[in-house]
Amino acid sequence: MAPYTTIPLSPAELSYLHTSLSQTPPIRPDGRSPTQFRPLVAETDILPSTNGSARICFPDGTEAIVGVKAEVERSKQENNGSTSEVHLKRDRRMEQQNEDMEDRDANEGKGREGWVELAIEIPGMRDDDALPIFLSAMLTEALLADQGLKDALYINTRFHWRLYIDILLLSLPLSYPLPLLSQTTHLALLSTRLPALVSEQDEDPLFNDDWEASTYLYPKSNPSQTAQRKPPITLLVMAVGETILFDPSADELAVADAVVALSVTQSTAGLKLIALRTIDPPSRLTSGGIPNALNTTPVAAGAQQTALSSNEALKLRENDQGRSVWRPPRGGVKRVVLSRMIKAVVEEDGVGGEVMQGLANVET
Amino acid sequence: MQADRRRLNAPAGGTAPPVFAALPNTKLQRQTRTRKPDEHRKLFLQTGIVPSASGSAYYEIPPQSQQQTELLVPQTSSLKITCTVHGPRPLPRNAAFSPNLLLSTHVKFAPFATRNRRGYVRDASERDLGAHLETALRGVVIGERFPKSGCEVVVTVLEGEEDGWWAGSAEGKEGGWGMMSVLAGCITVASAALVDAGIDCVDLVSGGVAAVVHGAGGKDGVLVLDPAPSEHDGEIRAACVVGYLQSRDEVTEMWMKGDAGMQAEQLIDEAVKAASLARAVLAETVKEAAEIKLGKGDESAVPVNEGKGKSKDVVMTG
Repeated sequence: MAPYTTIPLSPAELSYLHTSLSQTPPIRPDGRSPTQFRPLVAETDILPSTNGSARICFPDGTEAIVGVKAEVERSKQENNGSTSEVHLKRDRRMEQQNEDMEDRDANEGKGREGWVELAIEIPGMRDDDALPIFLSAMLTEALLADQGLKDALYINTRFHWRLYIDILLLSLPLSYPLPLLSQTTHLALLSTRLPALVSEQDEDPLFNDDWEASTYLYPKSNPSQTAQRKPPITLLVMAVGETILFDPSADELAVADAVVALSVTQSTAGLKLIALRTIDPPSRLTSGGIPNALNTTPVAAGAQQTALSSNEALKLRENDQGRSVWRPPRGGVKRVVLSRMIKAVVEEDGVGGEVMQGLANVET
Repeated sequence: MQADRRRLNAPAGGTAPPVFAALPNTKLQRQTRTRKPDEHRKLFLQTGIVPSASGSAYYEIPPQSQQQTELLVPQTSSLKITCTVHGPRPLPRNAAFSPNLLLSTHVKFAPFATRNRRGYVRDASERDLGAHLETALRGVVIGERFPKSGCEVVVTVLEGEEDGWWAGSAEGKEGGWGMMSVLAGCITVASAALVDAGIDCVDLVSGGVAAVVHGAGGKDGVLVLDPAPSEHDGEIRAACVVGYLQSRDEVTEMWMKGDAGMQAEQLIDEAVKAASLARAVLAETVKEAAEIKLGKGDESAVPVNEGKGKSKDVVMTG
C-alpha cells in the first residue's frame, strides 16, 4: 500500500535537507540564496472575453491562469431592521456628509465586501476541500483589505459592478500553490479594465462602447498626490531553525519548521502588511527515523541485541530530540522568528518590493 | 453552495432576523467598551461535559453586565462553544498507513448561533475556521506516538460573536471580526478537550485575540485585547488571533487581518497577552478536572453546601 504522506522522501533525506538548510549560509537544493526567487514566465491579456487575465508558469511545471470578469448588478437596499427614527437620523447624517464630501471622492466608503467573488479550482480537489477554501479565504481577505478596490466597483446607489475572479491551477498541486496563484491574480487585476461610465447620477448605467476609453481597475499612473493603488501580493516564507527562506520548493517545505503566508500591498509609506496566516508545515506528516540504539535487526551471528521495553524506547527517542535521526517538528514558531519574517518582507529594500517591481515590469 | 436535499430547508433567499417595534422615544445606544484596553472578559470553561466522548469541554463568555433595556434584542453578544474529541481511535482497515495521528477538525455554527440563520451544511467560512484550528492543534499534539490512528475534534458554536452592532450601519458588519473571537475560543476549548481526552501534547495551547481600533481623533489606533465587535461597531481596523504555547513561548497559529500599519508587532504581542490570560483559566480548569478524576480533591477546602460544578473565580494573570 502506498505510504500516506505524499512526500516521497525518506527520514535520511529529510534529515540531510534539514541540516543543509540550517547552515549559515543555508545550502538550498537548487543553490539559490535565501531571498532569491525562481524565474517565472508571465503573460497578461491572454483571454479576450475577460476584463483582465494573466498566466504564470513556474519552472517546476506548475501553471496557473486567472480570468477576471465584471458584471453590473442591482444593489440591495440596506435594511437592518432598525426603527424609522434611526433611519431618519441616518438620512440626515448622510445628507450632511454628502455636503462635506463634495471636494473628496464621492464614492469613498460606499464599496461592499460582497461585490468581489473569488473562486479557485485545483485539479483533483473538490471545491469544499480544505486547501481551495483556505487559499480563497486568504486571497479574498487580502484583496478586500483595500477599500479603494471596493469603491472602484461602485456605480450609483442602485447598481454596482460585481467582480468575479476565477483562478485555475492547471497542474497538480505538487508544492503549495499559494504564491503562484497570488502572483497570477495580481497580474490579472493589474490588467483589468472596466468600461467607462457615460450615464449620470442614479439613472440606469450606460457605458461607452469604445474599449479604448475603458478605465483600469488599478490606475496605471497617478498624477495626484494619492499613492498608486496596487493589488496585494501573497508570499510564502518558511523558517528552518533560525534561517528564513523565501519561495520554498516542495522539498524545502517538507522539512520546514514553520511556514507563513504574508500578504502585502503598496501604500504611501512603502509596503504594508494586510494579512498573515500560518500554514501547517507538511513536515508534520512525515515519519520519523529510528535511532540506531532501537535498531532490532540482528547485527551478526551470535551477537544478540536486547530489545528495549516500550517505555525505555520512548525515553530514548525523547532524549534524542531529533538530533541523530529525523523527527517531525513539534510546537510552533518563535515570536522572534516571526517578526524577522515580517520585517524581511516589508522593509525598505525587502523581498516584497522586489516581487511587486518584477510583476509591474511584465506589463511594459 | 450545494442544496441540502435531506432536510426541509429554510426559504432559499435567507431569513431576516425579527424586528421588534420599539417605543417612540427609545434611544438606540450602542454599548461601548467599558473595560480597560488590556482587560479580558470573564471566561467560563469546564471539561467532561459529554460522558460518551473521549474528551469534551464547554467554553462561554457570558454577558458581562445586565443591561436594563426595554428592547428584546440583546445589546451585546456572548460566545458559547462546545467541543468533543473522539480518539485516538484506529483508522478504518482500507485507509493507507499513517505514521502520525490523523487529526481532523470540524467547526460548525448551530443554525441559531447568529442573528442571520446559518444552514446545516458547513459553508466556506466554517471550513476555513476548521483549517485554522487544525493548524493550531497540530503543532501541539505529539502525533508520532499514535501511528495508524485518527482523532476527531468536533467544535459546535452555540452562540457566536456578531460582526457588529445589530442596529448599526452595513459597513460596521463587514470585516468578519466576530469570526476571530470565535477562533480564539475554539482553540482554547479544543485544547481543554484534548487534555480531557488524554492525548499527548507538548503544551497547553490557548487562543487570544487583539484588535487595533480607531483612536479618538488621533491617527494611531488603540490596541485592545479581546475585542467585542458589537462594542466597536465599524471601528476595528485590524485584528489578530494567536494560538500560543506559553511555556515554550511559541505560536502555533496566527491569523492577522486588516491594516495594522506600524503596530503589527504590538498587535501580535497584545494577542499573545490575551492568550496568556486565557491560559490561566485553562490551566486551572484542567487541574480541577484532573483532581476530580484522580479523586484527590481536597474535601475540607470545599464547603459542603457548594455544588459539584461550582468553582471559584480565577483571577487572570498574565
